[in-house]
Amino acid sequence: MLNGLNVEGSTPLHRMSVRTKLAILLVLGVALYFVSSLFVLVPAFLLAAGIYFTTGLPARDGLRRLKPVLFTIVILLIATAYLASIREATEAFFRLMALVLFAGAVTATTATGDFIDEITRLLLPLDRLGLVRAADVGLAFGLVLRFVPDIFNHYQAIRDAHRARGLKVRPLTILAPLIILTLKDADTIAMAIDARGFRRPRSDRNN
Amino acid sequence: MNTRDLVLVALFTAITVVLGLIPPITLGFIPVPITAQSMGVMLAGCIIGAKRGALAYVLFVLLVAAGLPVLSGGRGGLAIIQGPTGGFILGWIVATYVTGLIAERLVKDGQNDIGQFAAFFIASVVGGIVVLYAIGMPWVSMTTGAPLTDVATGSLAFIPGDLLKAGIAALAARAVLVGYPLLPHRT
Repeated sequence: MLNGLNVEGSTPLHRMSVRTKLAILLVLGVALYFVSSLFVLVPAFLLAAGIYFTTGLPARDGLRRLKPVLFTIVILLIATAYLASIREATEAFFRLMALVLFAGAVTATTATGDFIDEITRLLLPLDRLGLVRAADVGLAFGLVLRFVPDIFNHYQAIRDAHRARGLKVRPLTILAPLIILTLKDADTIAMAIDARGFRRPRSDRNN
Repeated sequence: MNTRDLVLVALFTAITVVLGLIPPITLGFIPVPITAQSMGVMLAGCIIGAKRGALAYVLFVLLVAAGLPVLSGGRGGLAIIQGPTGGFILGWIVATYVTGLIAERLVKDGQNDIGQFAAFFIASVVGGIVVLYAIGMPWVSMTTGAPLTDVATGSLAFIPGDLLKAGIAALAARAVLVGYPLLPHRT
């Protein structure tokens, strides 16, 4: 039901550490907004496109993933060209596409688990200060993946119950039972987690 | 945050993911189909409160960034966040927090039905519409170069649909509060 968007491979981007990839994306995301020269933006776009289409992602999948973002960008930039200037819209197109393609390449070359591991590691300094528990990220993440299929089954059951009674399936009559049915398991799940000792009490660590 | 809070956060994130899997619904008088997922911000704030609601969205945005196709229509990945509407995705976290904060203050025990609905509706409108657009629109303007006033004018088209979502979210939040109350109180 929830497969990651990454593809297996051994390109330089695959082998690069998650932290480096995210840092490059962050720097690029800020830096490109200070550049308005097409002599920089067009090569950046071509380079990002080159990276995106050599990640091992089949060209068709690659294009299909880009479609929704591309659609929004084109619509908004037609408006910009009309309201501001064609030059500004052109610059924004190459800048946005360079960022979107590079971000897509990072997503395509980073396994979901590696990404979560990296987030957990980045949170460790805050964990030491006692502000968050870094290990909770992984636990919460696992809980989501575990319960999405269950909640989807709840949804189907509520939908079928509507149909059996000849009622129209409406958001209003679906939401409340779906949410109550799901959240009332929270106590049992929390008890199960604590009974297994998945979350160490904080005092243990200070000793 | 105790384990129960953590579980509630994760379960609400999972509900938000499922809301993205439900086919969008078209309503007679509004041309754009409504995705159930877009009500998630209002629902999270009104049902599990400011802190847990915002954390549920931190987790949701993390799922998007990690490259899971959790957004409606099977979208996901860092490219969406880098795109012109990325501000709305990051804005969800703040929007949920504000929705929750207002709901926690306005919703009280012993309120009549209409008062309670009004409280949830105000929380959903301020958090889920005003705050969200206040973050999302400058981002659109900055990334595309379109003037902010024009972006704001264009966004007006979405307001009727958003008000309707706030109404549905408020009714659903009330039903959940009656059936299984979780919203913390603040005075």
